[in-house]
Amino acid sequence: MAITTAVRPIPEIGSPLPRRRPRSTKKTVGRVLGYVALGLAAAGVLLPFFWMVMSSLKTNNAVFSVPIQWIPETFVWSNYVDIWQKSDMSTWLKNTMVLSLAVTALQLLTGSFAAYGFSKVRFPGRDVLFLVYVGTIAVPWQAYMIPQFILMSKLHLSNTLWSIVALQAFGAFGVFLMKQFYETVPEELSEAARIDGLSEYGIYRRIILPLSVPALASLTLLTFVNTWNDYLGPLIYLRDPNLWTIQLGLKSFVSQYNAEYALIMTGSVLSVLPIAIIFMVGQRYFVEGIATSGLKG
Amino acid sequence: MTDLRAAPSNASRTSDRAAVPRALRSAAPRQSRSGRKMRRAGWLMVAPSIAHIGLWTAIPVIATFALSLTDYNVFSAPRWIGLENYVEIWGDPTFRKATWNTVVYTFWTVPVSMAIAVVIAVALNQKLKLQNWYRAAFFLPQVTATVAIAMVWLWIYNPQQGLLNAALAVVGIPGQAWLADPDWALWGVILVGVWQGIGIKMLIYIAALQNIDESLYEAASIDGASAVRKFFSITLPMLKPATFFVFVISIIGAFQVFDQVYVLTDGGPANSTTMMTYEVYRSAFQNFRMGMASAQSVLLFAFLLVVTLVSRRATRSDAE
Repeated sequence: MAITTAVRPIPEIGSPLPRRRPRSTKKTVGRVLGYVALGLAAAGVLLPFFWMVMSSLKTNNAVFSVPIQWIPETFVWSNYVDIWQKSDMSTWLKNTMVLSLAVTALQLLTGSFAAYGFSKVRFPGRDVLFLVYVGTIAVPWQAYMIPQFILMSKLHLSNTLWSIVALQAFGAFGVFLMKQFYETVPEELSEAARIDGLSEYGIYRRIILPLSVPALASLTLLTFVNTWNDYLGPLIYLRDPNLWTIQLGLKSFVSQYNAEYALIMTGSVLSVLPIAIIFMVGQRYFVEGIATSGLKG
Repeated sequence: MTDLRAAPSNASRTSDRAAVPRALRSAAPRQSRSGRKMRRAGWLMVAPSIAHIGLWTAIPVIATFALSLTDYNVFSAPRWIGLENYVEIWGDPTFRKATWNTVVYTFWTVPVSMAIAVVIAVALNQKLKLQNWYRAAFFLPQVTATVAIAMVWLWIYNPQQGLLNAALAVVGIPGQAWLADPDWALWGVILVGVWQGIGIKMLIYIAALQNIDESLYEAASIDGASAVRKFFSITLPMLKPATFFVFVISIIGAFQVFDQVYVLTDGGPANSTTMMTYEVYRSAFQNFRMGMASAQSVLLFAFLLVVTLVSRRATRSDAE
């Protein structure tokens, strides 16, 4: 090691060019290999999705055919019409949409508000309170879902959409994410506003909130997707079929029409599609949201 | 405490406040008058969140402990039975199996998906073309609900028509019954867990990689370090904080596995894939034994706490 470092500088001074060429060819080879390996891995990860979409356009018999049929012989587009008649897809989608939108809107409001208190306002006990508050993220929901359910039943809220809204209206993760973002906003900004006589609510609403659009976008996407995909919560609280979310509905459809493979796949595609679109459009905010909440945690 | 401290200075402020011209006033009394206002605003702003967590988390957590000492079926009043639920759990082979399965599931899904995630993150960090598309591809399983994709996995694992056995037949390996076979079913669930778990870990790693100082790699290149050497001597050590974070959240997540089991196997065959959360669900909402389910919840929580603390110890001392 000592020898190499001593010897190296000598050729380097005179000839940067010859050293560069072998490295760049090696780099290209590595690059191509990298592309191929990544491409294969990505294809493997996406394979289940490809098969899902293709099967949603097959006839029932063709879904499980041997040998495996990757592309349907005839595209059965009518599956996407029939599913609405054979299932309560529209009810399920409506419920899921209502819940996801309501929960997301509330979490944006409550999360950004509380995070301002924890981040920009100084008051005694603040940091300890925040640690305890955020520490609850690590407590698994299953550890306290039963008394929570009993409490919800006593309030006559279980078996209504309100139960999910009541539980999800606030979220420690949202507060944490927003606070992480607020910490990057210079302290002088809120100080200056305070000197100008703006109240804390005024600073929150007129200065900090408009600056937090990227973080709010991240929180919107993460919350919406989580609520859309939630399974155990709706399973416990939403017993009435009229209240089912898309996940619950799909599961019951699978057990009720367990031979209608193609339609099951159609339903699956329809339940994933909104999320896939949202994810593709807002990918940047997903990444940023996870990066800001993950890195400094 | 805070009132006592604020009161005297506040009183003296109010007396001379009238004398100070309005323009000058705002800056000077910040320490006390608006200091108190600020404290009040702070409390008010965090109060709704604290109240919510108090009502829906803190009280239920305490109630779980109390309920775990009762026999309660929702329809009649809870009956105090002391530690009977815990005694029953101790002798219950199903819950023991569920605990073991949860540990096995965590033990395999967490490190395997972390290893894959770090390799993909490093590969994606080379400023590739189409980088966003690759990233999206690896993250898509994470945002897909398990129910929707479960049918596809049921097909992959299907003994007669499934993809897995067809692929194995190509290389001459005899197929298995996978989810229908008590020896293989848990591995089937684990593979789905790995597939779904790569995305978020990859994203955290990508973010962490972007914070590594480029000059470290340049210095290593001058010293003639190979790419592999750089990965092990620079990248991995620099990723230690991210790894620790990913590790802890992954363990917490893995312990809560429910959806996969519920939609893929229903805990079967012969309880070979049942998990702690699944048993809690079964006790509470299928057998209506709320006290028993609470006792199982307490054990789930205690177990997770121990595992997190131990693994934290292990990774921390490893870092030093």
